[in-house]
Amino acid sequence: MTTTNNRRFLQCDVFADVAGAGNGLAVVLESENLSTEQMQAFAKFTNMSETTFVLPTTTLEASYRVRIFTPISELPFAGHPSVGTAHALLESGLIKAQDGKLVQECAAGLLPISVKGDGNNRCISVRAPRAKVIPHAANIQALLNTVMGNMSLGGLSPTLMSNGPLWWCIELASEAAVRQLKPLLSDIVVLTQASDAVGLAVFARCNTSEYQLVVRAFCPADSIPEDPVTGSANAAIAALMHEKQSLADIGNTYTASQGREVGRNGFVQVQVDDEGEVWIGGKTQTVIEGCLSWN
Amino acid sequence: MPPRPYLQVDVFSKRPGCGNPLAVVLDAEDLTSEQMQTIAAWTNLVETTFVLPPTQTTADYRVRIFTPQREIPFAGHPSLGTAHALLVSKQINKKNGEIIQECGAGLIPIRIETSKKFRRRLFFRAPSVKSITLLTADATEANSVFSQLELGELSPSLVEGGRKWWIAEMFDENALRNLKPDYVAISAMSKASDSMGLCMFSRCNGQDYQLAVRAFAPAFGIKEDPASGAANATIAAYLLDSGALKSIGNNYRVSQGREIGHDATIDLRASQQDDIWVGGECQTVINGNMNWID
Repeated sequence: MTTTNNRRFLQCDVFADVAGAGNGLAVVLESENLSTEQMQAFAKFTNMSETTFVLPTTTLEASYRVRIFTPISELPFAGHPSVGTAHALLESGLIKAQDGKLVQECAAGLLPISVKGDGNNRCISVRAPRAKVIPHAANIQALLNTVMGNMSLGGLSPTLMSNGPLWWCIELASEAAVRQLKPLLSDIVVLTQASDAVGLAVFARCNTSEYQLVVRAFCPADSIPEDPVTGSANAAIAALMHEKQSLADIGNTYTASQGREVGRNGFVQVQVDDEGEVWIGGKTQTVIEGCLSWN
Repeated sequence: MPPRPYLQVDVFSKRPGCGNPLAVVLDAEDLTSEQMQTIAAWTNLVETTFVLPPTQTTADYRVRIFTPQREIPFAGHPSLGTAHALLVSKQINKKNGEIIQECGAGLIPIRIETSKKFRRRLFFRAPSVKSITLLTADATEANSVFSQLELGELSPSLVEGGRKWWIAEMFDENALRNLKPDYVAISAMSKASDSMGLCMFSRCNGQDYQLAVRAFAPAFGIKEDPASGAANATIAAYLLDSGALKSIGNNYRVSQGREIGHDATIDLRASQQDDIWVGGECQTVINGNMNWID
């Protein structure tokens, strides 16, 4: 067991223009000699949706290596922890982007990160794992119909997408239909459990100067009735719209608004590049900076 | 707003991660109530406290205590963790003796104990117990909880301290640690009696603690609490009242939270009903600054 008691620590707010608007993340910048058990115990202690641990890289191509933990388990990859960890490292001066690029080493492999702008306007994006449509059986359709009972649907067919986690992606008719939706949480539990999905996301196209899409994501089976700002759900929705050639009106680069219904106000920058890869990113605020004692 | 000192502390804990976590924001005088509530929702810990200058001359500091959902007038573990944060930050300079905390529940004394054997321990004086009511045959919901359990010597009772708790003794430590609580029945009992829930304890032999405790408050969304300050004070009042402290001792130590991955250590000082103190060690886990720009 290590006696190192002065590890640099940050807690930041990801997909946030101001503190408190986004999704919180705890980052331990110097995690050498912490065991897996100590990492898991600390991730339980912070009670953030995710806590990340930065480690020396094991390959020359990588800018940094990170391990990602929820309070209950380790994840191979997740969007908001990747964006927030890159922010914490840049902010602390531990790494520098090369031509606006970084490479993150994590359990899912080497992932490219893009860094645009400076200071409070800096936007960090990560390339999401490629998504595919998952066909669903007839018995699932009945459960889906129940969940959609109180929804005012939009143009695209409701689809189950996989980009690592599985997300139900359902387009609604308008921004108001998304914001005012009272989700049938117990029916969503049944649907997501029967289809191995992590959750269900609803979205609608919007006509505002600030954002072009509004998103809400529900994961009641994981005890998260509504997630404040969700990288993977936004990536799944972008992949679905790209697949259905439905991005013409809002464009390949857009901003999504998420979290207002749970007291947040997150913004996710989404880009579908020329190769059809989806990038998700945003601004990050450093809220807490200090030293960690954990042994 | 400039960055202000911020600490994350583990209370009732001999090692980081064993106890009950707390976030403490110092120099919080220019934060509004709305900002405090937003910060407490964002830190996502059971409680976040905000330290302010005292308004009463006898107080050393003033604190406001928030859960992610609301402000509360008083709670034990946030009081100890806040006093610890002030001592660590040298905003209070005392080695032994008493600190006075001003909070929503009034002035609360906090005692500092430093000895060669122990690291610094802090104790708060618990609200006096108002009543101890033995279980009666007409308490249907309570009887359906207790009839399932291998109870010990003392009779289950409803004890009113700051809040009401049902208190019952288990047959032995093993029975307590292996107990699989019936949350539905406990929840029904707590609603029927307007109480927080159920505290179970057992006496322990051959350990460095004299009591093992588990606390269940499922009606309030807390299936099991890792380390309960005020609830342990009501157990102490109940033990004192029954005469059981003659064999356990007026100063005793509690082990709580192992069944849910914690390992809290809580020290009790219970010489008289109106003079019960609850305390333990606090560990500083994070020491830094908070920059809240909204």
